[in-house]
Amino acid sequence: MGSWLLSWAIGLGSFVLFVIVIVHLLLSLLLIIPSWRILSRAGYSGALSLFHLVPVIGSFIVMAILAFGEWPSGEARHGEGGRR
Amino acid sequence: MGEIAALAGFLGLSGAFAVVGLVLAGWMAWRIVEKAGLPGWAGLGAILLTLTAVGTVVPLVLLWVFAFMRWPRDEMVPAITGPSPAPAAPPKSLPDRRGWRLAGGGVSLAFDESSPSYRLTSGSAEQATDLVVPDPSVGKPHARLLTAGTRLGLEDLGSAGGTYIDGARLLPEHGPRDISAARSIRLGRVELVLSRA
Repeated sequence: MGSWLLSWAIGLGSFVLFVIVIVHLLLSLLLIIPSWRILSRAGYSGALSLFHLVPVIGSFIVMAILAFGEWPSGEARHGEGGRR
Repeated sequence: MGEIAALAGFLGLSGAFAVVGLVLAGWMAWRIVEKAGLPGWAGLGAILLTLTAVGTVVPLVLLWVFAFMRWPRDEMVPAITGPSPAPAAPPKSLPDRRGWRLAGGGVSLAFDESSPSYRLTSGSAEQATDLVVPDPSVGKPHARLLTAGTRLGLEDLGSAGGTYIDGARLLPEHGPRDISAARSIRLGRVELVLSRA
């Protein structure tokens, strides 16, 4: 009885973990696709958007690259587009 | 202190980490949209929308819009095809009549401003202004070179192998980019060093 319960618990736990991972991947994809394009347009490798797969801080890493790095393909000049 | 905690709780900020994350994200979003040529408050506003009832859905939609919209930065590219907006040279200065050279990967291409544009292709030269780079990673055509006075521009024509300026990817939607000061360009797998002939 005990081993049956343990197997059942492990099976359920694995299933829940699998669902969590799939949901995380799908939600990350919603961020990865636009971020890939933004990074490419900024001149970086689009693959950097895969940082979104890192839980919690992934989005911050991608944003920090874009916000504090110098865009290889050029940035809007100072004084235009709101930068004063 | 209790009021601040209550206000933070009301706004859905459950802890100090959420507040720091929100401020950091707002600041970075401000900088990112500014670099694209949009007003910084638009980025900050998109992040602050996460505090409202619409949650993360609207900022997510705005992220997709930002990714695929036309950025003012891309429209600020100097019109390489038009007359040079540079201030007039002193009357006694001599124009720079030197041509350009792209060399590398067993290819040496020389051209000058006698034509306003040249096509870079791996196919056979159909026109006098076709510059042939015989490599399978180079498209037919791959990119366009634009000459205007002492300036040289490069435009990707939607090539599969990609076009790079000093390692940075040039996409078709970037339009013509000034490469007068660039060291090298890459067409597919072919690296070409730029110099004045």
